[in-house]
Amino acid sequence: MDPVRTYFRNIWLALSSIAIGMRITMKHLFVPSVTVQYPDVKLKLPERARNRLYVNIDDCIGCDQCSMACPVDCITIETIKSTPDQDLGVTSTGHKKRLHVPKFDIDIAKCCYCGLCVYPCPTECIVMTDVYEFSEFDRNNLIYNFSVMTPAEVETARVKAKKAEEEAAAKKAAAAAAPKPAPPASPPPVPPTEPT
Amino acid sequence: MDLYAIIFYLFAVITLGSATIVVFSKNVVYSAFALLFALFGVAGLYVLLMADFLAITQLLVYVGGILVLVLFGVMLTTKVFDVQMKTKTIQMVPAVAILGLLSGTIVGVFWSTDWYISENPIDVAKTAPQIGNMLLTTYLLPFEIASVVLLVALIGAAMIARRERKG
Amino acid sequence: MELLQHIGLEQNLLTIVLVSALPLVFILLYALVTLYLEMKVSAHIQDRLAYMRTGWHGVLQPFADILKLLQKEDTVPAAADRFLFKLAPFVVFAGTYAGFAAIPFSSAYIGSNINLGVFFIIAASSLVVIGILMGGWASNNKWSIFGAIRSAAQMVSYEIPTALAILIAVMITGSLNLQEVTQYQSGGIQNWVVFGGSLPLTQKLLILPFTLLTFFILFIASIAEVNRTPFDLPEAESELVQGFNTEYSGMRFAMFYLAEYANMFLVSAVAVSLFLGGWSSPFGEALSGPLWDLFWFVAKGMFLVFVQIWIRWTLPRLRVDQLMYTSWKVLTPFLFLCVFAVGLILVL
Repeated sequence: MDPVRTYFRNIWLALSSIAIGMRITMKHLFVPSVTVQYPDVKLKLPERARNRLYVNIDDCIGCDQCSMACPVDCITIETIKSTPDQDLGVTSTGHKKRLHVPKFDIDIAKCCYCGLCVYPCPTECIVMTDVYEFSEFDRNNLIYNFSVMTPAEVETARVKAKKAEEEAAAKKAAAAAAPKPAPPASPPPVPPTEPT
Repeated sequence: MDLYAIIFYLFAVITLGSATIVVFSKNVVYSAFALLFALFGVAGLYVLLMADFLAITQLLVYVGGILVLVLFGVMLTTKVFDVQMKTKTIQMVPAVAILGLLSGTIVGVFWSTDWYISENPIDVAKTAPQIGNMLLTTYLLPFEIASVVLLVALIGAAMIARRERKG
Repeated sequence: MELLQHIGLEQNLLTIVLVSALPLVFILLYALVTLYLEMKVSAHIQDRLAYMRTGWHGVLQPFADILKLLQKEDTVPAAADRFLFKLAPFVVFAGTYAGFAAIPFSSAYIGSNINLGVFFIIAASSLVVIGILMGGWASNNKWSIFGAIRSAAQMVSYEIPTALAILIAVMITGSLNLQEVTQYQSGGIQNWVVFGGSLPLTQKLLILPFTLLTFFILFIASIAEVNRTPFDLPEAESELVQGFNTEYSGMRFAMFYLAEYANMFLVSAVAVSLFLGGWSSPFGEALSGPLWDLFWFVAKGMFLVFVQIWIRWTLPRLRVDQLMYTSWKVLTPFLFLCVFAVGLILVL
């Protein structure tokens, strides 16, 4: 094109595009902002949001399936067998509880919020809640202890279980001496419930 | 000592001190920056002489133009900071002769000139219009010649900058 | 020193120092306001909110920012030239502050009512260039020196259109003294130089397109003079980190920052004094008087500062060649045309 015409065309293009841009920014100056003032205003979380884990320890049967499912190993569970004279009750889903759960720790700092621990739980006692504000100054405070057993209770349960085990071992030895098939020493594993 | 004298000596000290640094500094960049204060001090002296137009022109031309040019030259020259500047005395005899001649001339001019001291205080309000009028009437020819010199310099610079395009 | 006579004070060293410190008070207050304005305008242009938690709508945030800058450690790079490094921010600020001396804030206040006001402001701003070169070189950092050299080249180039635009206003008003230039424009919005000044109607209609164009170009050139987007090549964050003030921290960085903000107002103030009637009220005699004058001056100045901020958050940065093209091949030729046309019309 003619250089003179190009020169004036360029100037015109520059000026008109600047004017368009400035009109847009001026318009946006008066558009309500999209910022959410977080601590004062909170967005409603989606129904199935996965945030902090919660364990309803009353329903836990100590099956350890959540711990095994966890990809980051943030759940630690210890169990003690109950003796036949103890009745640990039934869970709300109707399962018989056969194990004491003296330790059910979740290190929420490690948790990756994948939700894989929730699905295998036969009694639906481990769930993801919508609580997401739980920052702490000390990292150790992020290890949540869900077990409600007192040390004394743990000790009694342990002693009893040991005694029962010794008795069972003695019986087994006696049974081994006699040519008779031994009865099963441990309670049968908890059958998995159908997925809900 | 009144305020005027204090300010005069302040500017004199700034000018002379900076000028000393310009001459004796071993670092070219230091010399260039010291020149800033020397020129600034001279501008201050002009202000004290009621030559406001001259003072501001001094700042504009020397500080805004020439000093920036000098600094550009210094900064864009490679390895300029590694150059060891020599400040020892060489060729004593011709130097003393030339120095004596020059300072003799200056002192001679200083003493022999019949300095004009205005009885009336200068009307500062009129300096700029007066200079403008004089430049375009009485001193039009020198003014135009100076412009032509600048124009020639500009054309020359353009010629040098565009030379490689021909070949 | 009119103010001293105005309020009947004796002219001695103390009062002179006090009166010359008034613009400093203004600059500090203005910097606080503009810091806030810049953040708020930029945020709202991008549909955000900016600070909301320090005081009502974050009004205390500028104080917090400045407090942070003041107590930050003043670091000097080991390889830097200590003396020049420490001196540079003060040279830059001195250059800017010197310019404020010739700005008529009100009919009753001008730091120094010198006759060559505008000329002096142009000269003082060259001190800023030297200070920036000083800081850039003394930092001994490649980003700093590139930024400084770019800044100097840019400011020297854009001084030409600025000076030419100022020349046009001076041709119309016939004075270099900003106080007189302002008085020439008093008597209402129709007397402003941007609308042709107080010339007879026919001349005014002829001159109007040229004065509008000149004002427009002066404004563009002054944005380039203060190194702001779209002419912020000296501080181009994406290529030069922070340009000449990369190595600066704490108080010295604050000085550079303050000088930059003060410069924004300084160029706006020059444009206002020359083209937008300075401190004179747009309604003629109504709403005038020393304090109203101050209000009008600051309001007009702040409006131009707002436009600078508005442009900054709209436009991207120019390339170096585009920058030079704009100055030498667009702004300067158009201003030569304006100088010629305005001169011709004035002679007619």
